[in-house]
Amino acid sequence: MPTLKIDGVEVTVPAQTTIIEAAERVGIEIPRYCYHPGLSVVGQCRMCQVEVERMPKLAIACNTPVADGMVVSTRSPKVEKARRAVLEFYLLNHPLDCPICDKGGECPLQDYTLTYGPGESRSVEEKIQRVKHKVLGPHIVFDAERCILCTRCVRFCHEMPKTGELGVFSRGDQSEINLFPGKVLDNAYSGNVIDLCPVGALTSRQYRFQSRPWDLVRHTESVCPLCSNGCNVVLDVRHRQRGEELLRIRPRENQAVNRWWMCDEGRFTFTSLHDPARLRVPTWCENGRRAEMGYDDLLLRAARAIRRVVEAHGPEAVGCIASSRQTNEELFLVRRFFREFLGTPHLDFRVRSVQFQASDASEDGILRRTDKTANTRGARDLDIRPGPGGLDVAGMIAAASEGRMKALFVFEEDLVRAFPDRPLRQALGRLDLLVASSMFSTETTALAHAVLPALGFAEKEGSFTNFQGRVQKIHRALTPHVASQSLPEALRDLAVDLGRDLGGIEPEQVWAAIGERPGAYQGIAWKDIGDLGLLPEES
Amino acid sequence: MAFEKILTRYTNIPNYTGTIDEYIAHGGYQALPKALRELQPADLIETVKRSGLRGRGGAGFPCGVKWGFIPKDSPKAKYLVCNCDESEPGTFKDRMLIEEEPHQLIEGLIISSYAIGCRLAFIYCRGEFVYGAQVLERALREAYGRGFLGRNILGSGFDLDVHVHRGAGAYICGEETGLLESLEGKRGQPRMKPPFPAISGLYRSPTVVNNVETLSNIPHIVLRGAEWFASIGPPKSAGPRLFSVSGHVERPGNYELPMSITLRELIFDHAGGIPNGRRLKAVIPGGSSAPVLTEQHLDVPMDFESLAAAGSMGGSGGVIVMNDTVCMVRVGEIVSRFYHHESCGQCTQCREGTAWLHKVLRRIEHGQGRKEDLDVLLDMCDNMKGKTICVLSDAAAMPIESYLKHFREEFEIHIRGRACPFEGKGAF
Repeated sequence: MPTLKIDGVEVTVPAQTTIIEAAERVGIEIPRYCYHPGLSVVGQCRMCQVEVERMPKLAIACNTPVADGMVVSTRSPKVEKARRAVLEFYLLNHPLDCPICDKGGECPLQDYTLTYGPGESRSVEEKIQRVKHKVLGPHIVFDAERCILCTRCVRFCHEMPKTGELGVFSRGDQSEINLFPGKVLDNAYSGNVIDLCPVGALTSRQYRFQSRPWDLVRHTESVCPLCSNGCNVVLDVRHRQRGEELLRIRPRENQAVNRWWMCDEGRFTFTSLHDPARLRVPTWCENGRRAEMGYDDLLLRAARAIRRVVEAHGPEAVGCIASSRQTNEELFLVRRFFREFLGTPHLDFRVRSVQFQASDASEDGILRRTDKTANTRGARDLDIRPGPGGLDVAGMIAAASEGRMKALFVFEEDLVRAFPDRPLRQALGRLDLLVASSMFSTETTALAHAVLPALGFAEKEGSFTNFQGRVQKIHRALTPHVASQSLPEALRDLAVDLGRDLGGIEPEQVWAAIGERPGAYQGIAWKDIGDLGLLPEES
Repeated sequence: MAFEKILTRYTNIPNYTGTIDEYIAHGGYQALPKALRELQPADLIETVKRSGLRGRGGAGFPCGVKWGFIPKDSPKAKYLVCNCDESEPGTFKDRMLIEEEPHQLIEGLIISSYAIGCRLAFIYCRGEFVYGAQVLERALREAYGRGFLGRNILGSGFDLDVHVHRGAGAYICGEETGLLESLEGKRGQPRMKPPFPAISGLYRSPTVVNNVETLSNIPHIVLRGAEWFASIGPPKSAGPRLFSVSGHVERPGNYELPMSITLRELIFDHAGGIPNGRRLKAVIPGGSSAPVLTEQHLDVPMDFESLAAAGSMGGSGGVIVMNDTVCMVRVGEIVSRFYHHESCGQCTQCREGTAWLHKVLRRIEHGQGRKEDLDVLLDMCDNMKGKTICVLSDAAAMPIESYLKHFREEFEIHIRGRACPFEGKGAF
């Protein structure tokens, strides 16, 4: 392996490593615009030029492989002059609309200009005027004046979704990024061009003008809940008059899961968290009348109903349908409550055919998977399945309609919609107790005696296990509504009402219990699960 | 010593039309059978190396050495591409060669293809050369008709097909990797090097790109030998060269001469000197990208080394002569306008720099220059040179630098006087 010196720091890297990658290993960031580790190298922006001893010209660090004994300077006077020149050239035609630009404050052109650029412009020529807002697709708006033609967006569309909607048109200083005739930028991954754009040329129609970066008070690391891939994300939250608001979801690099990318569905589908129609307060329905009720009262009534059912019909008259939308910690507590405390074998989570037939597969060979829930693997690993003699979801529905099942808990699933061809209304209507948790009113909650508001993924602490078996943490970005409790809190209190102690319900405490059990997660502690998750076989 | 014309020896014959019959009647297509029957490809490469033939497109790279870079053991197809995208302002020699003597090029192309193991060759023809492309197409049909192209050429077992591809009007497609991109049907943008075309060129296969004039020399080298060729002109710049002389001369045109010729001889003896008793002010010796020379350089020989030593370059052989009515700021404005228009736009310095150069020079020429502009121009040129994927950026910066070096006072007069002092703004 060649050993070279970069700014006096010695580094040994595999042959074929480029200077820009080698520098990264020793913490030296070489400024760049067109280079992106996830895209092909074009060497066009000329920002990453470095001086290499015994090379007559400056070399571009993105495309120059290292060699043994190479001596590289990233801050020699020659390099600094060349870099300053590139920035000066960029700014000749770049508009000074930073004060109203979405990128302002997190813009590599601003940052590098501040660090390496000229203090003021020597140009007195008029700037070229171009189109300021062209809608490229359902999610993206383009500002041609801000564009510095790094072509990352063009390459991304060609190389990742391979849809190739974008190209460079015209030449020289007339060059412009644009759509090919008849195309619209609406591939399933189009939002990534927003992150890739090193200036404010490609902005999100959803986030546009919603916030300045410094007003985003929280950048919470989490995991996308919308399929079993578990793309790593960051949740950007801003305080507004009406409270905290999640404004933006960005991918977070994880080479083992999503590299640098995420799909548009995961990126843009979060507004339901702020939907005024969300259920916030528990309700109890008796004699056809539904009323809001505090948790204490509601859980006491539920506990009384459970006790009556168990005393009259045994624990086999109680069933629980959990959800692969729930976290590992929630699922573990659910299992402990129903299988261990109540002693019922009727526990399952499989309400979708993709889970039932274990046919989760890649949807497009990129990131998206056919199982549209986050934690099927976790539910399997934690054995959220019928115990000996237990019924699966269909069996529980049948038992309810035959009157054998008396009390049923349904968490975060709309059974009525999931099984449109079964007589769900009739079956659920026969139950003595139906408890449902949900973020929104559904046909199932309409039939429930007790409805518990469910929290969204951005309001929970916990973990999901993606399809690979990688356990990944989600963190709370938004404070739950003051009237809503988490499911672990409700289960803990319900257990207390039934005279049992569920144990600690914080994720760390739950993992202490999970790690004690034989199974996929044996020996794993909460702190073992790092920012990029943990694949149990690897540990 | 009388110089024997080689490339243009028949074109001066009255009524010579360059058809295959005429070409053969004057001794054409004799090198081809000799090469195919008597010489191995390796011998041919060696011969061309020994001849000292250097590329006539602009860079002057030794032709045989370029051929030698083609890997012998590559399983990939090998391509020969003839660069006929002649677009350098002041240069019009390739156009004449394809229009008036197309078979000389085709014969050279076939021999060169044989030398490097190419079975499919292309002639990338400048889009504006509509007539030239028609002549080439006709000539190729004639060559196919005589069995000089196609399967089993002259019974040698060697196959070759040649296609003419017309460009769409971009100077940058004359840069060899921009040409290859364009030929592949992509945007004409130069590629990063390495890899060089000899390793990964057309369709990522080993490729040689040779200029029209370079290839036109090959039949003569094969027929008359490397030593004969090497004896023409100075040792490091062997062989005849076509100089396109334009501007303020009595007889503009293409002149085939050895490179030992001086600027003075070329301008005054061959092109008839400066008309109307004007004085020579400036001369660009190798196309618009070449730094300008002045009267003091008139005795510089036109070989690659001597011109480089004088601070300019042999380039494409386009000699642009300017008399004392010419405003050098206006020349700068025109030259920079060209590069502004022709920059492909992928590299930052070139995309933005060519435009900025043009705008500043236009401003100075139109009386709105500022005294700080000249130092900004020089610094801008420095920032544009040697820092981009191809040399278009250098080609835009070098001439401007040279105009400022030799004629700085003229720029200052424009700025001080807030106007161009030249009547009629004569240039080109």
